Amino acid sequence: MPLSQPVTPGTVDWTGENPGILLKNPDGTFSAMALFFRVAWSPAGPGQLLLLYGSPNSAESLSGAPNLLLGDNSELADFLIDNFIGKLPAFRDAAPFNALKYQPATAIRASGDPMGHRYTETVACPNTCVELVWENLERPRALELTPDQTGTKEHAMVTLLVPARQAQIIVDGNSLPGEVGTRVQAGFETTTAFLYFAETWIIPEGT
Amino acid sequence: MTRVSVNPGRVEWSGENSGILLENSLDADYATLALFFRIVLSPHGRGDAALVLGAPDADVGWPYAPNFLMTNNQRMMRWIVDGWVRKFSAFRNRPGIESMKWLDLHSICCQPAHLRSRHREKAFGSDIELEMVWSDLGEPVPVEADRSHSPTGEHDMYSVFVEAASASVIVNGTPLPGQVGCRRIFDRTMSTAFLALSNTWVTPSGTGD
Repeated sequence: MPLSQPVTPGTVDWTGENPGILLKNPDGTFSAMALFFRVAWSPAGPGQLLLLYGSPNSAESLSGAPNLLLGDNSELADFLIDNFIGKLPAFRDAAPFNALKYQPATAIRASGDPMGHRYTETVACPNTCVELVWENLERPRALELTPDQTGTKEHAMVTLLVPARQAQIIVDGNSLPGEVGTRVQAGFETTTAFLYFAETWIIPEGT
Repeated sequence: MTRVSVNPGRVEWSGENSGILLENSLDADYATLALFFRIVLSPHGRGDAALVLGAPDADVGWPYAPNFLMTNNQRMMRWIVDGWVRKFSAFRNRPGIESMKWLDLHSICCQPAHLRSRHREKAFGSDIELEMVWSDLGEPVPVEADRSHSPTGEHDMYSVFVEAASASVIVNGTPLPGQVGCRRIFDRTMSTAFLALSNTWVTPSGTGD
């Protein structure tokens, strides 16, 4: 619940949307990972970015399962890689991270209803079309997390979480393998497929 | 810093809710009130809207006065006008709210220009071309307002405010009257022209229907 002082102490690092889908193999390892960003404000400007690890255990993309970094603002891509994605262990420590190459997207589109049954983000570049699909959506929840509860361990964060019980990562019409799993965030059990809206990352005062 | 990580209240809607409130130079009352909405989540779906009261105390709507609301989701905006806009202090009891013309919004065009100096939203529809421009932008301010600080007095609200030192509202090429001023909100003095990004409204637990 909001603090008694209405202006949060600290500096806004970036704000926007940050949905994702992490699909798992039966042994619990990741089979495919995707994060999407629709940033309304950052020091590198606004923009959109898709990070896809279709082959999370390989620096090189395997057939039909590309590792991609697609967006509409290369400066924003650099900012997020350095200041955010590079601080998330699951993404930073994966094999594709150091081999990622930014490509301009030719089309980026959201559709569906996050308070309905299905929501999608579609991102295309000249040779590939990626569709992220979230289904069987739960009710939205407003979260306020302290740095020890966030992925970077450096930022405070407020966000609006809509968990999905089913999800797909579709590349050129083919679904990547894997299933949605479970995870715990701030003591709350949720899933590895999530929509995050109105998400703000704050560098706490004095750090 | 004491926090409850998961707000137990009911999320109502989320998106952007930027505003330009222009004051008369003579009496500091508002000459023009304008809000821009880009809603990404609500019980009535998603949508965009621009609400303009160029004559907030006139009991007439477009085309007789520049009082109108353009939207591509009327049901959502009826709900937001009734549940939120009417409760904002600048809009409360304004005749223009009752008489504003409801119009279709055909398209919007956003030109954020890096959000370092200037931001522009253009809206087109029903023979109206609306332009809202925020200039001389400041640093983003993170806001978490409980109901005692929230603009409605009823909700928890999370947002990022970017203040503008100057702004204009232009309808079919004609700037609406007034100048950017200051107001007390969130326990500080802030500009009456602002971007409100990542804006989420929550009905506190135990107070909703």
